[in-house]
Amino acid sequence: MAGLLEISHLCKSFDTIKVIDDFSLEVTEGTLCCLVGPNGAGKTTTMDLITGRIKPTSGKIIFAGEDITGADEHAIARAGIGRKFQVPAVLRDLTVRENLSVAYSRQTNPFWNLCRFKVPGLEQKIDEIATLADLTHRLGEKAGILSHGETQWLEISMVLMQEPRLMLMDEPIAGMTEGEIEKTARIFKDLRKSTTLIVVEHDMGFVREIADVVTVMHMGTLLAQGSLHEIEADPRVRSVYLGEQEAA
Amino acid sequence: MNTKTSAKGVGTDSETTMGNPYHNKTAQWIAYALFFLALAAIPFSVDDDFLLNQLATYGVYGMLALSISLCWGFGGILNLGQGIAFGLGAYGMAMTMQMQTQTAENPIPPIMLNNGLDYLPFLWWPFQNTVSGLIFAVGIPTLFCAVFGRIMFKARVSGAFFAIMTLAMLSAFYTIILDQQAYTGGVNGITPPSPLQLGSFQIDPYSPAAYWTVFFALLIATVIAKLITQSSFGLVTQAIRDDAERVRFLGYSVSSYETTIYTISGLIAAVAGCLWVMVVQYVSPAQLDVGLSISMVIWAAIGGRMSLLWAIIGAFLIQGGQSYLGDAFLSTWLLILGGFFIVVVRFLPNGLASLVEAGLGMLASKPKETSFREPSGVKPVPSE
Ligand SMILES: Nc1ncnc2c1ncn2[C@@H]1O[C@H](COP(=O)(O)OP(=O)(O)OP(=O)(O)O)[C@@H](O)[C@H]1O
Ligand SMILES: [Mg+2]
Repeated sequence: MAGLLEISHLCKSFDTIKVIDDFSLEVTEGTLCCLVGPNGAGKTTTMDLITGRIKPTSGKIIFAGEDITGADEHAIARAGIGRKFQVPAVLRDLTVRENLSVAYSRQTNPFWNLCRFKVPGLEQKIDEIATLADLTHRLGEKAGILSHGETQWLEISMVLMQEPRLMLMDEPIAGMTEGEIEKTARIFKDLRKSTTLIVVEHDMGFVREIADVVTVMHMGTLLAQGSLHEIEADPRVRSVYLGEQEAA
Repeated sequence: MNTKTSAKGVGTDSETTMGNPYHNKTAQWIAYALFFLALAAIPFSVDDDFLLNQLATYGVYGMLALSISLCWGFGGILNLGQGIAFGLGAYGMAMTMQMQTQTAENPIPPIMLNNGLDYLPFLWWPFQNTVSGLIFAVGIPTLFCAVFGRIMFKARVSGAFFAIMTLAMLSAFYTIILDQQAYTGGVNGITPPSPLQLGSFQIDPYSPAAYWTVFFALLIATVIAKLITQSSFGLVTQAIRDDAERVRFLGYSVSSYETTIYTISGLIAAVAGCLWVMVVQYVSPAQLDVGLSISMVIWAAIGGRMSLLWAIIGAFLIQGGQSYLGDAFLSTWLLILGGFFIVVVRFLPNGLASLVEAGLGMLASKPKETSFREPSGVKPVPSE
């Protein structure tokens, strides 16, 4: 079976600095892939390239058999890729409920939306996701007043509302409490049954908990790929990544 | 900006938001209904034709403020060039009314004859027929907004840059219209000799009929604008105002939404332009003056740009104030207005509407001890 996402020979330079350098990755449908690597390795940049936020210098990105290299952000999102940002990005002036409603973006045509006042299935979906994320009692609040952990959850919920085939989660548990992290791990493992995920995370305990495949990036290149066990045994990984963590 | 509002207790805290009638959709519609009923009744109590005519012009200003509120308050697109749509609509109407008075023996308007043109320029052709004239009067500015908006928003021009582009565009139109005397009447503009004729009916600018026409158009525009803000489109637009970059990743083509709201706003302004000429029976480049377009933004800002109704009221108050106080304080009026504007922008980000919102919030949250209220059936609306 071909991968849901196939990245081949991806390169991105800012001025003369090569930030992503001949990076290739294949993600199989229905798996959870953890993308790890030291700070500045290019993980967020890779997500920016996949979601169209920045355009690659060269290389190819195929999603579900379709070439999405350099396509517009909204087109890529519509193709079925949802994203949570490293710095949580929610619509702060809107309520939690409105954030979730906007994220339920089955209909994106402006003219259609001009004559739509009730979105079928929206209420149930909000109920379901808000319950999962423990945000039910916050639905009427402005997103701007949520705590950091709640904001993380709201953004994860927005990705869930989108019902994407591929979810990209950039450091989803940053700023969460132990309990919240455990819950996140549980939910991610659950999600894997129905969707595909790429999760960027520094917390190795969390990675161990959730990952099917671990991909290690270093200076914009793919350093190693495999199960966490294999990765941890890899001497190159130990030197660039795990070594660095021990030093820190 | 919003944190400031909540710090001042303007209804963002959990207690006030839920119960505040300001955020209740039904209460909002009732407020709109009362407002328009009051406006509709005015001709019965005013028998000064001149005053009624002046009130009709306020209706036009209200419509302009409404269009700014929709585009800027809800869409987050600051437009300092609304005079383009307003002015083009006004010129279209003036040309239509002018052509209504030309006869077979006398087919060329004096503007051309006085400027050495002995034929009707191509530009004027569509306005020979009233229906097509009205369609072009509204259609051309709307089309302009759609094209200009499309180019700008596709290139992701936004915020202050977009505002400056609209301003530059407005100046360009102003200059062209001033310059092309043979086609536009130059600085004198166009003064159609008789009122608008619709079929066999003549709309005398000083009659209640003219007032009611403006009033009715304002009502329709307001209802449509209100429905837009409550639709799925309106929600996405407000999301874009909040964080356009984020909304793209949810699958929405931000530029299409921006172009659409900007164009609808332009359409409303173009209709306002037509009504303006119907009511005052003249048009000149002053309608495309930068000062007027900036005033429209000030009306909406002082009334409350995130409230359609209060933006309209802002226009009434300021234009009313200008006519009645302005005569007394002629030279200081601008200073007063400027000071007022600064105070509002600094302390009331949503203009006078924030005062009303706070007042209603205080009334509604009298029983303070309630700890947590579930969002009962009524969804709070973010703005308005
Ligand atoms: N717009 C840009 N212009 C120039 N350099 C950039 C730009 N964006 C990212 N970089 C550089 O690219 C490199 C990779 O950054 P990236 O944010 O992808 O790292 P990361 O793996 O996500 O790191 P972290 O774990 O800290 O989030 C960094 O060295 C960064 O300085
Ligand atoms: Mg990063």
